[in-house]
Amino acid sequence: MNRRKIGVYVCHCGGNISDYVDVEKVVDAVKDEEDVVVARTAMFTCSDATQQEIYDDIRELGLDGLVVASCSPKLHTFTFRGVAKRAGLNPFQYTQVNVREQCSWAHTDDRQGATEKALRLVRAGIARTRLLRPLEPTVVETVPKTLVIGAGIAGLRAAIGLADIGLSVVVVEREAEVGGWVKDFGPMYPRDKEGRELVRQLEAKVRQRENIALFTSAEVVRKAGSFGDYVVDIKTHGKSSMTMQIHVGSIIVATGFDSYQPEEGEYGYGIDGVVTLPEYKKMLDAAEGSLEYHGRPVKDVAYIYCVGSRQGDDGPHQYCSRFCCSAAVHSALELYTRDPSARQFHLYRDMRTYGRYELMYRESREKGSTYLKFAEDEPPAVRKGADGRLVVTIRDQLTGQKEVEIPADLVVLVTGMVPRENDALVGALKLPVGRDGFFNEIHPKLRPVETVVDGVTICGACQFPKNASESVASGLAAVTQSAAMLKQGRAELDPQVASVDPQLCTDCGVCYATCPYDAISPQEGHEGRRVAVIDPATCKGCGGCAPVCPERAINLEGYTQAQIKAMIEGLAREVV
Amino acid sequence: MAVARPTFIDEVRQSEQFNAAACMNCGVCTAICPMGLEHLPREIFRYVVLGMEEEVLKEQETVFSCLLCKLCEENCPAGVHITENVRSLRHYFDRKAFRI
Ligand SMILES: Cc1cc2nc3c(=O)[nH]c(=O)nc-3n(C[C@H](O)[C@H](O)[C@H](O)COP(=O)(O)OP(=O)(O)OC[C@H]3O[C@@H](n4cnc5c(N)ncnc54)[C@H](O)[C@@H]3O)c2cc1C
Ligand code: SF4
Ligand code: SF4
Ligand code: SF4
Ligand code: SF4
Repeated sequence: MNRRKIGVYVCHCGGNISDYVDVEKVVDAVKDEEDVVVARTAMFTCSDATQQEIYDDIRELGLDGLVVASCSPKLHTFTFRGVAKRAGLNPFQYTQVNVREQCSWAHTDDRQGATEKALRLVRAGIARTRLLRPLEPTVVETVPKTLVIGAGIAGLRAAIGLADIGLSVVVVEREAEVGGWVKDFGPMYPRDKEGRELVRQLEAKVRQRENIALFTSAEVVRKAGSFGDYVVDIKTHGKSSMTMQIHVGSIIVATGFDSYQPEEGEYGYGIDGVVTLPEYKKMLDAAEGSLEYHGRPVKDVAYIYCVGSRQGDDGPHQYCSRFCCSAAVHSALELYTRDPSARQFHLYRDMRTYGRYELMYRESREKGSTYLKFAEDEPPAVRKGADGRLVVTIRDQLTGQKEVEIPADLVVLVTGMVPRENDALVGALKLPVGRDGFFNEIHPKLRPVETVVDGVTICGACQFPKNASESVASGLAAVTQSAAMLKQGRAELDPQVASVDPQLCTDCGVCYATCPYDAISPQEGHEGRRVAVIDPATCKGCGGCAPVCPERAINLEGYTQAQIKAMIEGLAREVV
Repeated sequence: MAVARPTFIDEVRQSEQFNAAACMNCGVCTAICPMGLEHLPREIFRYVVLGMEEEVLKEQETVFSCLLCKLCEENCPAGVHITENVRSLRHYFDRKAFRI
């Protein structure tokens, strides 16, 4: 085999690494390894100066392999791939070795051990690099069309945004009507615009646009293909039930939330007159003057906040639902406009009418709303009183911890948001679901609407509790992401994917089910035999299939059977 | 156990200016009061808005110790008309306790 020319760079990371790993010693130990033509330490490998040094080495020494031993590949893989590319070295002929998170930070009590481990990891990196070959990204042409799943306020606004950028849009809504929760609402905070009116306007805009196709009573039942060209099966229900297949470049998921459903007996739920926030909102929206419930006038209203949200350490809903404080306070103001003499008591844990919604909170107090604070471990209790009215008991932290009984005609449980049941969709799209049951983005700050599935973005309240304006804002962020990907007309996919050697494959079938992305399928016609074939555009390079193959017919590019073996040998060698 | 009586506040309210419910219980007034009146005005306002009349009646001493200096009112972040509210309370005591 031809000799390789590998450069090795070991980082101090200021002192983050070198305080616990003897980086000079590591360099000394590897500088005479076969194929290593240069090995250096650097104070900060990622600094411009060191990047320039690596660049110069690649050009002057004609390096065909690069090993950087510094921090996590999550942080700087693209930095050093970039250096390689600029200097004319194929970016896939580079290996990142993590001697910070895996050595210096993990073994602060053992300098010698940390140093030895770093040396072994660097040797493994060199061994892998020796067997790397140049790769080119797989290029796919993108279909200039986006699928929007869910036609709530977020999905509808996203569809209009996409259409106006010049992309075709297919909207799939499960219900017979569009608009999600908002379609039934009267006045909403802030500014009291009616929800049903907002939805009417959005729907009209959607119907005006020729490049939007809207399917109601419809669902996505299957997704195949890959980013840039997803093949999606849509099934419509009802009289004209049918299944159709469409090609789209990207997918926006806007499937929204469900409202928390209290259990029988939870804060008196089940007793006549104890209602949830959506039930109350419906009553308010329908009422003309003062409120009535089952024919009885409603004068005293008690609200209990955080029902189904912020549930301690073992509850399924530990998060704050974010919209409910503001929605409940807004409802209280709504009631005052119908009946200024209504008496309203708010039993809360913390008031979270953040930002401008604080002004509603203040207004409600000025109009006479009384706020009482309860402790998490001593929630209020609701019962039916002797006179048939409701009675709420609370130990009020704002009134010297006194127990107070509040008579009420109506008790409103301020119920939070919970993730919507959507198992079939999650299965079809392979969507990442967080521990709280909502869909997960890649990075909460910098990539807030993208998911780990390329080309699939999430927006609205299916991601986490959001009010209407936040839902729409994230919908528009998803539009930008989708358009940025599709407008280029082509997408580059990571070439570090798996492939099957058809000579070795016996079609035993064990690998088919292991792939979480359905990238492996049997195909006829290899020298008259059926063999497993991996679609390079669908494969994510997770490596899950390679070890299960009894024939060792599957190789993951960059981590082939030969490379893994060489790396193990590098790790296991005597340190001295 | 105290029972809230939501109509009590209407008995105390003397003018449109009365706004005990606007208080958000931050405690600034208690900290700042030169008389060191612990229960004034925040806690008494609570009794008023909740309709805990017996508790209010126990606070006669406090209500009349207030200097009406407005130091608290100047610093109240919620715009509570503290001294006006105290005046309302004094009227209430005049009627209820002193019967004048
Ligand atoms: C009682 C109450 C009062 C509120 N008041 C206010 C307010 O005053 N101001 C405010 O800003 N916000 C308010 N909100 C919050 C507001 O309702 C949400 O922010 C908003 O509905 C989120 O929009 P969305 O499009 O993300 O979700 P949704 O409204 O839930 O819409 C999602 C849509 O996706 C569809 N869908 C779900 N799964 C699938 C699937 N598998 N395939 C196809 N379609 C699917 C659903 O049928 C639905 O039409 C209130 C909420 C409640 C419960
Ligand atoms: S390359 Fe990584 S380890 Fe080195 S300085 Fe930069 S962040 Fe620190
Ligand atoms: S917004 Fe308010 S009511 Fe809703 S969960 Fe958060 S704190 Fe509780
Ligand atoms: S590497 Fe992972 S994604 Fe690729 S075919 Fe194998 S199991 Fe599927
Ligand atoms: S300063 Fe104002 S808001 Fe704060 S406790 Fe006193 S009266 Fe209430």
